Amino acid sequence: MSVKVISSKLLLPCAVALAAMPGAQAAPPAGQLLAAQCAQCHGTNGNGPGFDEVAGKSASELRKDLLEMKRRPVENIMDRQARGYTDSQIQLIADYLAAHSGGDH
Amino acid sequence: MHQINRRRFLELAGVAAAGAALPCSVGAAIPARVVVVGGGFGGATVAKYLCMWGGGKVAVTLVEPNPSHIACILSNLVVTGALAMDRITLGYSALRTRHGVSVVQGRVTAINYGSGKGTVSLSSGTSLDYDHLVLSPGIDFIPPPDSSWDPNLTPHAWQAGPQTLLLKKQLASMQDRDTFVMTVPRSPYRCPPGPYERACVVADYLKRKRLNFARVVVLDANAGIQAEPIAFGDAFNFTYKGMIDYVPNATVASVNSQTRSIVTSAGTWSNVRVLNYIPNQRAAAIDPTAPGRGWPLLNAQGFVPVDPLAYGISGFPNIHVIGDACALPASDGKAVPKSGHMANAQAKVCADAILRALNGEAPDTNVTTNSACFSPITSTTASWLSANFNYGDIYDAAGKVKGKGMHRVDLGEAPKTNGDNYQDMFTWAEGLFADSFV
Repeated sequence: MSVKVISSKLLLPCAVALAAMPGAQAAPPAGQLLAAQCAQCHGTNGNGPGFDEVAGKSASELRKDLLEMKRRPVENIMDRQARGYTDSQIQLIADYLAAHSGGDH
Repeated sequence: MHQINRRRFLELAGVAAAGAALPCSVGAAIPARVVVVGGGFGGATVAKYLCMWGGGKVAVTLVEPNPSHIACILSNLVVTGALAMDRITLGYSALRTRHGVSVVQGRVTAINYGSGKGTVSLSSGTSLDYDHLVLSPGIDFIPPPDSSWDPNLTPHAWQAGPQTLLLKKQLASMQDRDTFVMTVPRSPYRCPPGPYERACVVADYLKRKRLNFARVVVLDANAGIQAEPIAFGDAFNFTYKGMIDYVPNATVASVNSQTRSIVTSAGTWSNVRVLNYIPNQRAAAIDPTAPGRGWPLLNAQGFVPVDPLAYGISGFPNIHVIGDACALPASDGKAVPKSGHMANAQAKVCADAILRALNGEAPDTNVTTNSACFSPITSTTASWLSANFNYGDIYDAAGKVKGKGMHRVDLGEAPKTNGDNYQDMFTWAEGLFADSFV
């Protein structure tokens, strides 16, 4: 971001204020990007429209479901999809969706 | 220029500050400007997610020539009459009203690839300044070598819209003993299963219409079926035995749209009833008359090489290319497919990387993208295809690490073609359409 035209006297307080702004410099929540890959079929943040609603499930339920799909013989498309993620990625996805689904989007 | 650009705004703010203390929030609240070119699945998704995840830190402008996007997804079912066009027509109103995307209907004529910042010129004469630019323009067709090719006579229907309706009309005109000849482009092309799916639903249509000796000829530029070889192999060999002639290694030499004739390395087909020539493809031009068709970098196949974490062009860290136009580093023989679903997947990775860059952070490396789709085989059954790509080491044909990229970690097709998959196909499309456009 260009701040060239703002005087140097203003620059420091601005930088401090920016850093102090809630969320301004916050890193995205862990698992947000990985979980966004579920949204193509389960809706943004897992809230539909799409296949089985993810919203409302606990992190442990989601993790258990995904690990079960990953390890059973392939029958449905999710049995394949679950194989595409490591167990630690599945944990991150489950934690994120349990915490963030159920909202407006 | 009809708008105040960012520098001008800062200058004005600076003048104001000379008279009164400039509130810090004014300087801090000026959002970074992201311009997105192309309103297909990639462009719509990146615009939506930048706004949703950006929390007011970014002002997103989406530039698209058409008032709405007509999805290629499910468009083969519009060709056969199973679906109406409105089922695949996707508007931009939710992007505007729900997410605050500024949608500009216009055509890009030139891009000034500035170092750090740049400008996009539009056919209306206006221009847009950007801090980050995301290009998601889709594909262009490579004309056949020696031809009088006219897609208004022999439709490709590989960009949905009027082409889809023209092919529908031509298919409906078929009579006993007529032949529908179609081509499969050389890989890589948009939607790997798409041409085989089209062959199946066209054959199904002819069968249901009870036409005698009507048939489909599939001229594949490749050595074999490029996606779902079991489902489509079964369909060609059993379900549509005697109706579909599958011809691999058919390199097109010339096309005559007037006579509906095509000459290939595997034979010549003349005066056929329907010639559905789907040409080879490359990244859509930014400016067809400029060197490199307006792109700063293209690979040998005419697509834009990008890095796998931010989708940036080498040397242009604030220019990003997603969707069918981009080429990602991948393991040999395991290329990332070009599809609407994959463009949506890439858009989220790109949006996240841009927001991190605006915070001075490096892109996330814990990245997996997925591709999933359903393909109708008959008017009541479908198959599916699933693939996942993980950021990390990528491999050459001998299994040696050749660098970093998106490595395909899983791939598979449906164990069975069935009616449940056909119903699931609509659930899948509804979800994908909404996640991208709503």
